Amino acid sequence: MATNAFRRLDTGRLSTLAVVGAFALLVAFFALAAPSFLTAGNLYNLLVNNVVLLAVVALGMTLVIASGGIDLSVGVSVDMASMVFIMLLAAGYAAPLAVLAGLGAALLVGSLNAALITRLRISPFLATLGVLFIGQSVQRLSTGGGQPIYLVRAEFAPTFDAIARSSLLGVPTPVIVLVLCLAAVYLVLHRTVFGRQVAAIGAKPGVAWYSGIRVPFQLAKVYVGAAFLCGIAGILLSSTVKSYVPMSGNAFLLDAIGATFIGTTISRERRPGVLGTLLGVALLAVVKNGLLLVGWNFYWQQVGIGVLVFLVLAVSFGLHRRD
Amino acid sequence: MTAATPVAASSAADPLPETGTGPNRRKALAALAIRLGALLTFAFIMLYFALTARGFLSAYNAFNVVEQSAILGVLAFGTAVVIVGGGAEVQTGGIDLSIAANAGLCAAVFATLSTAGFNPTVVLLATLGTGLAVGALNAFAVVGLGILPLLATLAVMNVAAGLELTLTENTVVSAASPVLAFLQTGRFLGVSTLAWTLILFSALMILVVHHTAVGPRLYAVGGHPEAARAAGLDVGAYVAGTYLFSGFCAAFASVLLVSRLSASTPGTGELLLSVLAAALLGTVFSRRFVPTMGGTLLSTLFIGFLANGFQLLGVSSYWVAGVQGALILLVVAVTSFARPQEH
Repeated sequence: MATNAFRRLDTGRLSTLAVVGAFALLVAFFALAAPSFLTAGNLYNLLVNNVVLLAVVALGMTLVIASGGIDLSVGVSVDMASMVFIMLLAAGYAAPLAVLAGLGAALLVGSLNAALITRLRISPFLATLGVLFIGQSVQRLSTGGGQPIYLVRAEFAPTFDAIARSSLLGVPTPVIVLVLCLAAVYLVLHRTVFGRQVAAIGAKPGVAWYSGIRVPFQLAKVYVGAAFLCGIAGILLSSTVKSYVPMSGNAFLLDAIGATFIGTTISRERRPGVLGTLLGVALLAVVKNGLLLVGWNFYWQQVGIGVLVFLVLAVSFGLHRRD
Repeated sequence: MTAATPVAASSAADPLPETGTGPNRRKALAALAIRLGALLTFAFIMLYFALTARGFLSAYNAFNVVEQSAILGVLAFGTAVVIVGGGAEVQTGGIDLSIAANAGLCAAVFATLSTAGFNPTVVLLATLGTGLAVGALNAFAVVGLGILPLLATLAVMNVAAGLELTLTENTVVSAASPVLAFLQTGRFLGVSTLAWTLILFSALMILVVHHTAVGPRLYAVGGHPEAARAAGLDVGAYVAGTYLFSGFCAAFASVLLVSRLSASTPGTGELLLSVLAAALLGTVFSRRFVPTMGGTLLSTLFIGFLANGFQLLGVSSYWVAGVQGALILLVVAVTSFARPQEH
């Protein structure tokens, strides 16, 4: 037993070292290869444009994956929030109402997922796949086939600037939002009974059921919570780009799953966790931003990200298998 | 299309028919009802289109749909085989999310090399090699490294999609080749090559998976790996084989894809959702709700006729994805009630 526990600890440390080492190497490489990488301007851009949005979505994905499921419809939640927010603004409604309605639309997507998974007992993969299809149709139908909506007129600028470009005590608002989301999900997942129950459902759903955990109810909260976080990302996204581009949320899907699983590799229990996910997001964001500065085009970035996620998964599952 | 085909196909796919009494028998009846219900739904929608959409029933239109369904069908067969061999457990079971992106990459290779003036044989071999290489990467990741198929193929999907974009610079690459000419204009007994391709490919798949020893072994590997291993099957080799086969299907479909448009176009990866829908909807036509080749063919045609009927009725194509999604949810919800509850 003792040697077993020792070996597992060793493996956990090894994969943590591998991911942190890879992160440090990448930062060092980009700092040398692209002089502009470590400048304050680029780091600010990296944080606000690459990290915040992905991190908020990935936090939702972390909740879902911790519960043993997967959410393929994160993009739909992001898009629906963004769409309702922008459409209401364009129709002349007050900004706070538009924000609330946008978040409400995301909650609706989450409730649909929750109902399908807990009431109709559809597996999370298929349920969220179905919602992804339906979400695409809804967006195409509402936008005449996928026409973006741009709100570039000056009357909308104050709203967008208040959300995406303002700052409090020198900290940009999106970063404050991210910190709040991080703190909330960290507390919920790692410091409450609910979080431990979610982890139990994720590890052994049968045992969780027989232990008297209200599995469907807790799962419903997980999917609604994840959708809410995606809704926040959607509002931030459309405020940053001052527009709604249909089906743009899907771009987060692979990155959010990748970041969450990079996070699990560095956790000693191989469980999804908030800090691990954050490191995964940082790793992906650094690679994207760095490859751009080094001069790789968008297409090669996609290959690079795919290869990176593949390697991390290979190391993680390879080490796990040796246990 | 009569009800006999899928029932025959699915009973051939179920080597262990349930012959119990009591609850087992009731469950079998419920399953039968669902299977018939799915077929009736299919028939009802067909009937509706036949009555309301002008020209829906014409032979020309039917072959048109079969032609259009060839690409989807080949990819759906590849996906169905992966699901069969990896088990239908949706999170940990077999799935190949990279198949559509792989087809896009193969199409880009085919079009680029054809345009560069290479010998058609070389081009075909390179296309096939590309598809198999991506399949081999998936097989290595899933069998060799033990990565969850869902995650491994998601990462590979990104790599394949990125490589396609670098190759084509996100533009349309038009292609001309004797192979394409044969696929585009060839006819036999008044039926086009593309339609023949789907007919022959389906017949071959049904024959191999449901009428040779390969099929039951594949179902055993997916359904109960430990038992299959104990029975002396090389589980890893079978699972690796399914990913290689799905790579082959991607390459095969890519040639059909290029022939249909005379070019490789960006956005092939978006086929993934329809491919998954076809493979997963097909499970409803089988007794144990596992993918069968007959069921996959039926659901592929169903999706094809659905899109075609909507088009003839003048319904916006924007609805199609949503209706497909709703159908998947409906089918899976109904089948999940027929299954025993698992905790």
